[in-house]
Amino acid sequence: MRRVAMVGAGMTQFGELFHLGMKDMLPMAVSEAAASVDKGFDRADVQAAWFGELVTTDGFATGILADTCGLLDIPVSRLENACATGNDAVRHGTMAIASGMYDVVLVVGADKVRETSSRTTFWDWMSMTRDAAWDFPLGLVAPANFALHAARYLYESPHATREHLAMVAVKNHHHGVTNPKAQMRFEITVQQVLDAPMVVDPFGLYDCTPQSDGAAAVILVAEELADRYTDHPVWVRGTGLGLDRVMHQHKRDMTTFPPTVKAAKQAYAMAGVGPADIDVAEVHDCFTGVELIDYEDLGFCEKWGAAGLIESGATYVGGRIPVNPSGGLKAKGHPPGATGVAQCVELFEQLRGESTNQVDGARLGLAHNIGGPTAVSAITILGADKP
Amino acid sequence: MTTIAAIGTYLPVWGSQLSRTIGPDEDAVTLAVAAGRAAMVARPDVSVDAVVVVSRHLPLIEGGNSAPVLAGLGLHEGTRTREVVGGAAAMLDEITAATPGTLVIGTDTSAAAGASAVLCDTGGTAVTGTGRVTRSLPVRTRDQHGAVTDYADPRLLRERGVVESLARLGTPTAAVVAGLSGRDAAALCAAPPAALPTLGASATGFAIAALAASEAGGTLVAVDQATVAIAELASGPIAVVRDEAAPQPTPASSFTEGSSVSISLPAYERAFDAKVRLEAARCASCGTLSLPPRLRCIECGHEGASERVALPRVGEVYSLATVRVPVPGLVTPYTIIIAELGDTGVRTIVKLTGAPAGSVAIGDRGTLVLRLVAVRQGVPDYGYGFLPDSHEVAA
Ligand SMILES: [Zn+2]
Repeated sequence: MRRVAMVGAGMTQFGELFHLGMKDMLPMAVSEAAASVDKGFDRADVQAAWFGELVTTDGFATGILADTCGLLDIPVSRLENACATGNDAVRHGTMAIASGMYDVVLVVGADKVRETSSRTTFWDWMSMTRDAAWDFPLGLVAPANFALHAARYLYESPHATREHLAMVAVKNHHHGVTNPKAQMRFEITVQQVLDAPMVVDPFGLYDCTPQSDGAAAVILVAEELADRYTDHPVWVRGTGLGLDRVMHQHKRDMTTFPPTVKAAKQAYAMAGVGPADIDVAEVHDCFTGVELIDYEDLGFCEKWGAAGLIESGATYVGGRIPVNPSGGLKAKGHPPGATGVAQCVELFEQLRGESTNQVDGARLGLAHNIGGPTAVSAITILGADKP
Repeated sequence: MTTIAAIGTYLPVWGSQLSRTIGPDEDAVTLAVAAGRAAMVARPDVSVDAVVVVSRHLPLIEGGNSAPVLAGLGLHEGTRTREVVGGAAAMLDEITAATPGTLVIGTDTSAAAGASAVLCDTGGTAVTGTGRVTRSLPVRTRDQHGAVTDYADPRLLRERGVVESLARLGTPTAAVVAGLSGRDAAALCAAPPAALPTLGASATGFAIAALAASEAGGTLVAVDQATVAIAELASGPIAVVRDEAAPQPTPASSFTEGSSVSISLPAYERAFDAKVRLEAARCASCGTLSLPPRLRCIECGHEGASERVALPRVGEVYSLATVRVPVPGLVTPYTIIIAELGDTGVRTIVKLTGAPAGSVAIGDRGTLVLRLVAVRQGVPDYGYGFLPDSHEVAA
C-alpha cells in the first residue's frame, strides 16, 4: 500500500452564507486548497475527485463540482455517510491513492444547511436518518437524537453534570475566537450556557452547534509525488469507519458510541499509534455532551473520566490533549458534508505549525465524526512525520 | 333483550372535574380502545366476537377506523366490526340490539371527551329497549367538511325536542339521562340523577355504569337532539372498570405551523400490525424478540420464519429527551422515551402521554397505551405512548 500525503487544504468561511450558492462555495474551497500548495498546484493534475455532501441543494452533485471547478475530464463520485461523510470522503481519497489507481486526488465536502428554512431543516434531515414508519413520526429531531445519549450518560456518570457539558461549549467558543473561518467568534461563560433557553433537555441553545453552510477541500497525492508540491506534507497515517445498530432502541449502552470505538480501533492500528500519542484532535461536538463521550470512546481518558478531563483544562490549547482548537462544530460551524474535511484542514495547518490557534509541537492529529442516528463514525489520523 | 357483563370507561386525563379534553395524541379511536380494554379487563373470561363503535368523531370517514380499534384491543382481524355515526340514543339502540360477545363502544372527542364500552354476554344484567322516537330538530349541524353551525336555542330543544319526544313515549320517569347536561337531565328524573362526564354516544355507557353501581336498575333515557331512546335496566351486578385518572390542567403547549409531514403508506402498511398490536417477532432459531420485526434475527442472524408475540405493556424509562424547541407540524414540548418492556430486554421508543412533558425521569415505570403518534398527510398514525405509573386504573 502506498503512503498518502496531504499537500493542500482550504475551506470557505463557515456560517449562514445566504449570499453564496453551492456553485460559489465549491470553487472557493477548491481554489483555496490549490493556493495552499507550497510549490504551486495545477488542477489539471487531479485524476479523480470525491465529493462528500448530505443534501443536494443546487442540483446534481458531482456534476456541479466538476462543472464549477474545472474538473470535467476526471471521474467524480459523491459520497454520503451522514455526519461521517467528510472523514469518509478523505478515507476514500486515501484508498484511491494507496491502491495505486490514482496519484493525485481531490476530496471536497460541502453542505448548505441554511438553504431552507431553519424550521423545516428538522424534517429535511430527520427523513435521512429515520425509519419511515417506526420513528420518523415521533419527531426525533437531531438534538433529541443525541440528547437520548447525553441524558443516559449524565444519569450513569458518577461525575458529569450539565456544568461539564457547558464547559465544552465555553472551551470551544474560546478556541473559535482566533479562527477567522469560524461561525461564532465570541466567548461565553458556563452561566450563560446554563441560562440559555432549552432546546432539548439536557441541551440548551449554547450546547448545540449552529446551522451552517460551508465547503472544504484537501489535495492528496502519492508519496512519490509529494515533494513536487511541498517540502512539508502531512501524512495520512490512519483511517477508520465504524457502524452500529441504527435504531436507538437497539443500542444497549447509550453512554458510548460504538461506531467511534470501532473506527478508532481501525485508525489507531493502521497508524500504529495509541490515544496517548495524539497531540491534537478535532472531534465531533455537534452537541456538548457528545464531546464528553468522544473523550472516552477515543481513549483520551478512562470511562467516566470525561468530566474530570474537561474540568482540568487538559483539552484546551496548551493542555495535555487539546481538542477542537478550531472551535469545533460548536463554534466553527457544522455544514455536515464539509465538517470532517474541514477538521482535516485544521489538522493540516496544525501539523505544519500554521494554525491561528497553534498547538505547540503538534506531530500527530486525529479528526473524528459521529453521526446520522448515532450509527456511523469516521476517523482520520494525520501526522507530520512520514510513517 | 341484551345482558350486560361489563362496562369499561375512559376519560382523558386533561381538563377539569366537569369536562375532559383529549390530548394532542388522542382521538376517537384511541379513546375507544382505552374504554374497550377496560371492559375486557373487567371480564377477561368473555370472548369478544363483534365490535360496534358509535361516535360522531371517527377520524377516517372513508374507512380504516376499525383496524386500529381491533389491533389496539388485541382482537383478531377477523372480528366483525361496525362503525355507527350517532350519539347517546344510537349507542343505546346498539346495546339493546347486541348479541352475546359484542363489545359496544361509544367514543366522543369534542366538548366533553370520554369513551365507554359495554360488553354484552349471556348471563349478565338485562337491558331491554322499551321505546324510541326519531325526530328532527337540528339545533346543531356539522357538514361533511366539519363546519359547525349552532341555532343556539336551548329552550326550543328542551320543549319541542326532548320533552315532546318523551311525551310521545308516555313521559317516563328516568333514573338517569344520557345526552343532556345537569339541569335538563334532572328535570326528567324523580331523584337527582348521576352526573355524567360526556354528552355523546359514550354517555350511555357512563349512564348504565352509574345505574349499575346501585344494582337497583331503572329507566334509562338517551337523547340525541330530538331523537330519544329509552330502556329498562334490570337490577343486578355489572363489572365496571374505570380508567379515569384525576383530571390535570392541560399543560401549556404550542403548535407550530408547517408543511404536512409526509407519510409512506407502504411503510405504514408493513408496520401496522406489529406497531398497533405492540408485537415483536420471536426468532424461530434462538427465541430472541425483535421490535420492529425484521427478516434477519438481531441476535443470531437467522433469516426467515418468526412468530409474532405480544409484548408486555409495562416498562421502565431507559433514557429520554424533552423537545422544547418548535418543530413544524407538531405540538411542543414533548418527551421522547426509550422504554424497556417488562423483563423482555426489548426496548421501544415512544412519546410520553398523560403527563406534562419533562415530568418523568430515567427509571420511572409506566404502561404502554395506544396513542395517535402523528397525523401525516391526513393519515392518523397509531402507535404507543408511555403513561407513567402515577396514572391508576380503578376497578
Ligand atoms: Zn435468532
